[in-house]
Amino acid sequence: MTDKQHHADSLFQGLVIFVALAFLTAVEFFIAITNASILLLTLVALIKAGLVLYYYMHIGKLAEEDDEHDHQSFAWKLATNRLGLWLFLLSDAFLFAGLLVARFNLLGFTRPHLNQNLGLIVTAVLLISSYFMNRGEKQMAMGDKKGFLLSTALTFLLGLGFLIGVVFVEWPTAAHEGLTPDVSAAGAVFYMMTGMHAFHVLTGLLFLLVILRNGARGIYTPEKHWAVEAAAVYWHFVDVVWIFFYPALYLMGRAL
Amino acid sequence: MQNMRHYVLMAVLVVVVAALTYLGLNALGLMPVAAAAQASPIDWLFDLQVKLIAFFFALIMVPMFYSLVLFRRKKGDSTDGEHIEGHTGLEVTWTVMPLVIVIALGLIGADNLAKVRAPAAQVEEIKVVGFQWSWRFEYPQGFVSNTLYLPVNRQALLLMESADVLHSFWVPEFRVKQDLMPGRITEYRITPTLIGDYKVRCAEICGASHAYMESPIKVVSQEEYDTWVKEQTALAEAEAIAALANPDPKRGEKLYNESGCKACHSLDGSKGIGPSWLGLYGSQVALADGSSVLGDDAYITESIRNPNAKVHLGFPQNAMPNFSYLKDGQIADLIAFIKTLTK
Amino acid sequence: MKQASSGSFSRAMLFLLVGTALGTALGVLAHVLTSGEFQTAFLTDVPSWMLGFLLGTLGFFYGLIGYTGIVRGLVFQVLGTLGGAAFVTLIRALLGMELFNTGTFGFTEPAWVFGGLAGAIAFMAGVGALTDWWKYALGEPVHDHHPEEATLKDYFGVSLDHKVIGIQYTATSLLMLSVGGLFALIFRLELAQAGLDVISLNLYNTLMSLHGMVMIVSILLGIAGVINYLVPLLIGAKDMAFPRMNAFSYWISIPAAVLLLSSLGFGGFDTGWTGYPPLSTRAPLGMQMFYLGVWVAGWSSILGALNLIVTVLRMRARGMNAFRMPIFVWAAIATSIISLTATQMIGLAFQLAMFQRLLGMPFFDVAKGGNPILFQHLFWFYSHPVVYVFILPGLGVISELLPVFARKPLFGYRWIALSSIGIALVGFLVWAHHMFTSGMNEYLRVPFMYSTLLVAIPTGVKFFSWVATLWKGKIETPTPMLFILGGIVVFLLGGLSGPPNATVSTDLHLHDTYFIVGHFHDTMFGGYIFPFFAALYYWFPKATGKRLNETLGKWHFWLMTPSFLVLTLFMMRVGLLGMRRRIADYDPALNFDWWQFAMTISAYLIATAVLIFFYNVYKTLKSPQTETGNVWNSRSPEWQVASPMPAHNYDREFEVVGEPYDYGLAGSTYVKM
Ligand code: HEA
Ligand code: HEA
Ligand code: HEC
Ligand code: CUA
Ligand SMILES: [Cu+2]
Repeated sequence: MTDKQHHADSLFQGLVIFVALAFLTAVEFFIAITNASILLLTLVALIKAGLVLYYYMHIGKLAEEDDEHDHQSFAWKLATNRLGLWLFLLSDAFLFAGLLVARFNLLGFTRPHLNQNLGLIVTAVLLISSYFMNRGEKQMAMGDKKGFLLSTALTFLLGLGFLIGVVFVEWPTAAHEGLTPDVSAAGAVFYMMTGMHAFHVLTGLLFLLVILRNGARGIYTPEKHWAVEAAAVYWHFVDVVWIFFYPALYLMGRAL
Repeated sequence: MQNMRHYVLMAVLVVVVAALTYLGLNALGLMPVAAAAQASPIDWLFDLQVKLIAFFFALIMVPMFYSLVLFRRKKGDSTDGEHIEGHTGLEVTWTVMPLVIVIALGLIGADNLAKVRAPAAQVEEIKVVGFQWSWRFEYPQGFVSNTLYLPVNRQALLLMESADVLHSFWVPEFRVKQDLMPGRITEYRITPTLIGDYKVRCAEICGASHAYMESPIKVVSQEEYDTWVKEQTALAEAEAIAALANPDPKRGEKLYNESGCKACHSLDGSKGIGPSWLGLYGSQVALADGSSVLGDDAYITESIRNPNAKVHLGFPQNAMPNFSYLKDGQIADLIAFIKTLTK
Repeated sequence: MKQASSGSFSRAMLFLLVGTALGTALGVLAHVLTSGEFQTAFLTDVPSWMLGFLLGTLGFFYGLIGYTGIVRGLVFQVLGTLGGAAFVTLIRALLGMELFNTGTFGFTEPAWVFGGLAGAIAFMAGVGALTDWWKYALGEPVHDHHPEEATLKDYFGVSLDHKVIGIQYTATSLLMLSVGGLFALIFRLELAQAGLDVISLNLYNTLMSLHGMVMIVSILLGIAGVINYLVPLLIGAKDMAFPRMNAFSYWISIPAAVLLLSSLGFGGFDTGWTGYPPLSTRAPLGMQMFYLGVWVAGWSSILGALNLIVTVLRMRARGMNAFRMPIFVWAAIATSIISLTATQMIGLAFQLAMFQRLLGMPFFDVAKGGNPILFQHLFWFYSHPVVYVFILPGLGVISELLPVFARKPLFGYRWIALSSIGIALVGFLVWAHHMFTSGMNEYLRVPFMYSTLLVAIPTGVKFFSWVATLWKGKIETPTPMLFILGGIVVFLLGGLSGPPNATVSTDLHLHDTYFIVGHFHDTMFGGYIFPFFAALYYWFPKATGKRLNETLGKWHFWLMTPSFLVLTLFMMRVGLLGMRRRIADYDPALNFDWWQFAMTISAYLIATAVLIFFYNVYKTLKSPQTETGNVWNSRSPEWQVASPMPAHNYDREFEVVGEPYDYGLAGSTYVKM
């Protein structure tokens, strides 16, 4: 197989995963309006998260053997940094798990009354951004700097769109319909969950800005671009969190 | 052979030390008197635990000190000890033995808990309200008391709720303890068995005067209990009627002392958790929002029914619990009492 | 470590006095100006003293090292706090909200909380812990190397050397231990007899609550200190995997400690270290500073644990497979698994409570659909496992040192190693045993009783193996060994008083009494404080090249141990008889005066013992005598090279060729240098 063909394949794979994710999101929505089974919704979310973890975040790389013993070498540092990043995500996952626990403890099988269209739109926006992130990272690995910058910039814009959508559209809409942070536990849970997630999106955006700037200045090479990989993995992680938060807030249980 | 001697000696020592530890602790008298049926299973299980503690304490300490005495390094000796890396049989033994004990303890513990919680067919239902920093007992007959009267040998079911923060109902002589929550009822079942005077002590920190959140409990005979209930019912009715017609500062003072106002309001002008009542009546009360209000009947009534409506300048909001259960007559008594407190 | 010139030290002391006096005077002045009354009792005006303390500390460090490192950090923190608070006030002005609090603290609560957070970040910028990351983000090169030999000044600023960071952590931990101990000494005075005669109710509650949390933070720092110093040495690494993050983890704990202690100056709080709502939602502003301080300290734990796990997984010397690691490394890993994950839950619990106060989000308010029990679940999901964070390294130290002083292999190495992991994992499943009386779902109680009791098994394995290690040894008892043995006795008492709390029905009596207080002082002293002191005595020569005085060490031990046993056994006794926790005063009818008085005396004896230790450290550091060899005749790699440890640890990477604890086996070595 030629290099070029290989590259095309790998970009194509990203697209296939994206289509699958989009399809599953539609399935999710369908389940929600037909029988709203929490079990099924959880199952779909797990599948989606698994796809992202494996194909977008390359969790498999953690298991790669490396016999490198020279602690100054790039390969060693890369594997070490990777492990560090994943442990950080593991830790962070507990925070989000805690929020989910709080949500089910306080609201049980009910959910706040929210605007479904808005929820679906921001979810779609975040999902698409993940696709471009994946594309950008691959383009970097192939040495396509222009493509990388374009995809990352798109990711950034979509991410910004998501953030604005949640904070400046969703929140006012919910508040307008009476769901304010201090009115009830449902309000508190909704703002805290989306708020903590939005905060992570914000840090992810800053991260993207850094790699955009440094990428434009040509600091990364196809062989050495750990910062790009890290930003991408982090970005997808934020997406995974939303994969669970979206059904938990919008789809599961009976609307209040 | 020599090892055998060590082992036998140590086994004897373990038994002796364990027995002495247990007997010594027992002689000390570990628990306060037991005054409720629920105390006996608990004391029985605790005694079992003490036995286990004594045994395992000896089982570890005896060989440890035995080794420390016997296997000390001699002066001038610079060799190492025997090369023993481990012994799988032993490791398995001291993993499995405690496992068996733990499982047994768990079964016993669950059974014990069931005994402690066993409901009786007929119970005396009393509502308990905990608030910063006192207790109030509301009897189904329609009166309220600050002393908990319980008939002996009859199960009482206390339905408990807090007016503000968490509290915990604990009578050491009854053993059992249960937290109170605002907005939710928790249950407490107790069957007193010993006539006498006790105290309920709040066991969950609940703010400044948590230490003083104690109220008297009287366990009395059934006859005495019935008389008391009758008396109180009659009294409460009479008082409510009398108070409306002519408020009495004496009854107000009693309420002040018994309903918990005392914890926060002084009578001598000193600043407590709440403002002093000295000179309150008829004065201009400065409020937190900058305005002021005349300290008259209406203001005082509102302050008791709905303390947050107007907050006295320099005092925290939410600090004073809601006393809306007080009857109109009682509030009239309180106002009469406050009127007497002039500078 | 190079000595400070005595000139800078006396200057530091002078500045300390001047700063304290100035700060206190300023505080009193402010008090007089705002309240318009001259408080004759300004001695009890806590905020003024806090200000004096802050300026005094600043003056001390300024005199010692000039305007660098920690001094700049603290100045930045103060300015950052005020700036943050002013910023929020400005926004409030734009929104037309109330600008200042009618209470004593000027700014409103949201302004102070945001200021506190901004101050912590400003500290990190000021001390220089963020500089390199800023450069990374800009794509600029950063330098990795650290100086050959650390000077005194290096200890008060950002250093990337794990040995320096380890010592920084340890010293900070000892400082916090003293502060927390001092609080205990003050409130023990109040408890010496019935009646309220020394401090006010609110001050009692604040000191008691802070005592708990300050001690816990002290332990977390102490553990981080020992782990940081030792683990790279034990596994033959040059440093931790992420030296910059290591420095960050250490330095973030300083603003955290400042925040935590500042709660004293913000009106205190009265909830105990558990901070349960709804009480905590009504407590004074100090509550927020407490929450925020712990929240920030949490980041220190999380990042430190992350670093440690990566270090051990990636940087072990050649030949060091899992079952040839020194046993302490197993303990460090087990501990770090807990810190890495569970810490998020206490952070979340405190964060939710903070937001309930700030924005009225009713997470724990029953009237609006909240649930106070949820807080308890989140809190204990961390705070139970964390007790194993305290003890696992301590038990690791015991397992590490016993073979050295018994001159015998560690009995059942694998069992001990795996029991650490076992304790850590089972420890995740037991949290609700703190909530048996809370009114949580009844059916949860029995499963949690079982899981709690299960912890006895791996813990028991450790005890039995230790005893078997001593059996037929050639036992020596220098000071570190004394502390190890003391630790075993005390921890056994603590551990064995655990099962009565675990069986639900007995806990209904024991919960929130001094029996529990006795239980956990025994476990924490036996599982942490005793082994920690053992470690200090044992590795002091490694870090400094000087050995602590044995006679003073024995005084320390023989004074501390009996007093401590009296303290905790009496605690358990009065607890069973009806002494509740967290009370400033007790019913004289209970007849506890004699017991309580004896406890207070014991507390002061323990403090004396600790003072002897400090004196010992001071004297030893000043003395010229040196000790460079393998002081304890150990097989461990760090003792096979010179003391103090060379700047870059081992010249060449060593190779592991044998078992770590093969004492008594002729011709076997552990590492080939
Ligand atoms: C280092 C700290 C530490 C450690 C190691 C432990 C260890 C244990 N703890 Fe403790 N605990 C605390 C610190 C610690 N605890 C603190 C701080 C609190 C109070 C928090 C607060 O409210 O402020 C507390 C409170 C606490 C409670 C709640 C009490 C209450 O508030 O009502 C309970 C209940 O189950 C409990 C149980 C146990 C048990 C079963 C163990 C076990 O791990 C002990 C296991 C060890 C042994 C049992 C000894 C050795 C074993 C053998 C020799 C084998 C054979 C033994 C048997 C078969 C029994 N602890
Ligand atoms: C490792 C943790 C740790 C340690 C070491 C200690 C040490 C001590 N503890 Fe503490 N304690 C806790 C953790 C700890 N405690 C916790 C978590 C609580 C629960 C809090 C709560 O309920 O919320 C608690 C609660 C607690 C109580 C119960 C309070 C109450 O419920 O009202 C009591 C009562 O006696 C007490 C006493 C003591 C004493 C006398 C010491 C002594 O050992 C202290 C000895 C003194 C020192 C070690 C200091 C020595 C140093 C100096 C004198 C130098 C000073 C100089 C300078 C500052 C420069 N502790
Ligand atoms: C937990 C503490 C507490 C208890 C108990 C308490 N109060 Fe108060 N009280 C306060 C505080 C604080 C204020 C001032 C803040 C406010 O106005 O809400 C206050 C204000 C008042 C006022 C208004 C007085 C003024 O100067 O503004 C009255 C009247 C009053 N309380 C009556 C009572 C009565 C009657 C009881 C008992 C049945 C009682 N309080 C019990 C704390 C308490
Ligand atoms: Cu009520 Cu403590
Ligand atoms: Cu626990």
